[in-house]
This record gives sequence, structure tokens and C-alpha cells, in this order.
Amino acid sequence: MQASRARLFKEYKEVQREKSADPDIQLVCDDSNIFKWTALIKGPSETPFEGGVFQLAFAVPEQYPLQPPQVRFLTKIFHPNVHFKTGEICLDILKNAWSPAWTLQSVCRAIIALMAHPEPDSPLNCDSGNLLRSGDIRGYQSMAKMYTRLAAMPKKG
Amino acid sequence: MVSDSINNAQIASAPNSRDFSKKKRTNRSAKLKQCKLDVRREQWLSQGAVKNKGYKEDQKDARKERDRSLENSRQRDGHNNDGSMHHESDSESPSNSPTNSLLCGDSGNNSGTNFIGSSSSSSSVSGSSSGGCCSGSITEEEEDDGCLDDWEAVADALAADDDNNKPELEHDNSCSQSPSESQLSVQSDASRELENGLGLDSAKSMPEGVGMLPGVSGNNTRAWRPDDVFRPQTLPNLAKQRSFPATDRHFGQRGVPWACNNVLPVPSSCPICYEDLDFTDSSFLPCLCGFRLCLFCHKRILEEDGRCPGCRKPYEHDQVESEGSVQGGSLTFRLARSCSMIARS
Repeated sequence: MQASRARLFKEYKEVQREKSADPDIQLVCDDSNIFKWTALIKGPSETPFEGGVFQLAFAVPEQYPLQPPQVRFLTKIFHPNVHFKTGEICLDILKNAWSPAWTLQSVCRAIIALMAHPEPDSPLNCDSGNLLRSGDIRGYQSMAKMYTRLAAMPKKG
Repeated sequence: MVSDSINNAQIASAPNSRDFSKKKRTNRSAKLKQCKLDVRREQWLSQGAVKNKGYKEDQKDARKERDRSLENSRQRDGHNNDGSMHHESDSESPSNSPTNSLLCGDSGNNSGTNFIGSSSSSSSVSGSSSGGCCSGSITEEEEDDGCLDDWEAVADALAADDDNNKPELEHDNSCSQSPSESQLSVQSDASRELENGLGLDSAKSMPEGVGMLPGVSGNNTRAWRPDDVFRPQTLPNLAKQRSFPATDRHFGQRGVPWACNNVLPVPSSCPICYEDLDFTDSSFLPCLCGFRLCLFCHKRILEEDGRCPGCRKPYEHDQVESEGSVQGGSLTFRLARSCSMIARS
């Protein structure tokens, strides 16, 4: 408990110090609860998510960093490894491949990498996974782009 | 108060500045040596006093004066490169000259005086009976005849130099060759050497601090200038801030010889809990992948899934236990393992 708090506090200071280190990630801590974080990540370029800004919610367990944080998308996203309704993320480093050496910042980076490189063989979003697995890259991209426009971009007009 | 005394001295000596400048030219190298000694001795004596009168105005004035005199000396060096000047120009070049390295070693011993060496211009000027001035007059009488060959050339060069300098200088300081001024320049040369010495010295002691020095000097075009009088106040703090992690790490590596064979550098803090690694932690190598962490986190990880955070392989239990229980035997064992790792990679 105390260790996780200390570690999160150090991470918070690190994030404050290196705010401009990664312009694609904006990691903010809840004002009242250091175990609740939100992150804004930019969709990687040359993907259907380019131009979108996606919000992530972090729920950090008290055993952190021995236990991974629970991360989910608050912004709707059409991605084979993200549950379309709950925003749950299927990412190995958030499950069994977690290492205490990872930080919330590095988790954000991993999620950006996952957005650019979907893993259709372990889908949480079956529609998206099936499109990719059947080789319909164009269909997947147009669907993903549509949802990016709908959910992850500022409304026009 | 310093500037006042400087001006007085200059005004008083203005009429016969040419004579003084002649003498000063030849005595320069001799003065350099003697002044250095005297100044250093006096610095030791008046160390406390100088520190106490570190007013900003004094520092500024002294620095201004010295800059001016340095400019002069630079130009003079450019004008005449005869024998008497070589010594000085050698010592002026900031690096690699043998005299300089000698001086560096010398000044490295008493780095405390470096600051005072630079500020001695203010102290010796304000105090009219300083060792530097006395030594100057003594050497003048001693060596006047020895260096007479150079007089004419030096005087010519100085005359030309005077003409060059006059427009730049204020009317107060138009007598740029006055003895107090020359004293200043000589001392500032000495102080610059001392500063160089300190620069190298600090370079040795704190590797990251070196990058800082030229950056500071970029503002003022001289490596030693901004930190001459401020030095005692600022430098220790900066050094502490800049080089603390680095020295920490160095200490860790040096203190733990068997850990030096590791592939990864020893981190200064535990990557899991971000707490600083102490000596025991930094000598603790639980996994062959070289991932280090503090003993607390290691214990917690063993209680949970028991995998190394670096490579995600389960910790080898026997090795860990042997390290924990039998210190001496495990150390040699670990050394052998890390050596074999290096051979492999």
C-alpha cells in the first residue's frame, strides 16, 4: 500500500518533470486519488486512428507495481484488441507479461504501439478481428477511421 | 571602494606610465611567477577577509578592470611575440601546455585558493600594501638590466597598443599601462591559470560539471570569468546538483568491484520503488540478465510471482538463497557468472 503510493508519487513527479518528453502522451493524476489516473494519447500516424485523441482510464491496484494497472479506453475505438463497449484492452503486458519495471507512461506507449499493430488473433472486438483476419484491411481501416472521427475527434461546427 | 583606489593609483601613475610599462614588460614573466607565489600566500592569509568582502559591486569592478587589462594583454601578445612574452602566452593558452598542466596540478591541491586567486585583483588593489605589488617592485630592480634587449620593441608595441586602446577606454583608465593595471593583468593571468587549474580539477572530480563550464563561459567569452568571485558560492551547489547521480553511480561501481563486470550500469535508484539503492542493494545482482533492484522489492517479488522484472524469467531460487545466506561464497560465484556472461555477449 505505502510502497505503491510512494512509487506512484515518484511517477507523478517524473511525469511533471518530463511533460514534453513524449508529446503523444498526456498523463494526469486524479486530484484526490493517486490510484486513479487518466491519459490522453494521440492516435499514431499512418493508422486509422491518426488525428484522434483517445482517453484512457487507469485504475492502479494497491499492489502496484507488482500488479499491473487496469487500463481501459474511455473513448470508443474500433480495434480488435479493445472491447467495443467496455473499452477493456487485451494486452499481454497488462496481464501476464506485466513487469514491475514498467510505468504508467510506458503502458501508454505500449497501448499506442498496440493501436498501430493490432493483434487480430486474440480479439476482444470480434468484428474488427474478423475483418483483419479475413484480409479486409480496407474495411477495417474505414470502420476504424469512421469511429475515430465519430468518437476521438473534436466535433465540427 | 576598490574602484576608487584603482583610479587613484592610475591617476597618480599616469605621467610616467611609459616608464612603468617598459619595466613591466620585461618583468612580466618574473612577476608572474613571483606574483603567483605571493598572491597565493597572501590568499591563504587573507582568505577569510576576502570572502567577507565579497560585495557585488567590488566583484563587478574588479572584473571589469581585469577584463580591460586582459584585453590589453591579449593585444600586446598579438603585437610582440618575443622571448619574454612566450612564457606568458604559453600560460595563457587554456590547455595542454606543460606549464599549465603543472600549474593545474599545483592549484589542484589548494583549490580553495583558486577563487581567491581570481579575486586577488580586488584585494591587492584595495589593500595598497599587498604582496603582489611589493614583489613587483622588487623584481623590477632585480631584473631591469637582464632584459634590456627587448625594451625597444616592447616600447614600440606598447605605444601602438596605447593608441589602439585609448578610444576604447574611459578617460579614467586611459593610462592603461599603469603599474596597478599591469599588476592587475599579471594577477589576472595568474588567476586565469588558477581558474584553468580549477576547471580541470573540477573536470576530474565531476564529469558532468565540465559541460556546464563552457556553457557558462559562452556568455562572457572567457572560461573562467563568470565563476571567479562567485565560485565559492555557486560552484559547490552546481556540482552537487549536476553530478550527484553520476558520482553516486561511480561510487557504486568503484565500491563494488565485482559488480563492474556486469553488462548493465548500476542504476542509482531501484527501478521498482524508485528509492535510492544503497551499497548492499547496488551490489545485489539477483538475475543473470543484470536487472538490479533493491532487496525490499526483490523480496516482495519473490513473495508474488517470483519473476525478474527485467527479463520476466523466474528467479533462480537457489542462487538467490545462496546470495542471501552465504556472503563470501556467493560473491565469487556471482563474479564467475557475470564474467561468463560478458564472455558470451
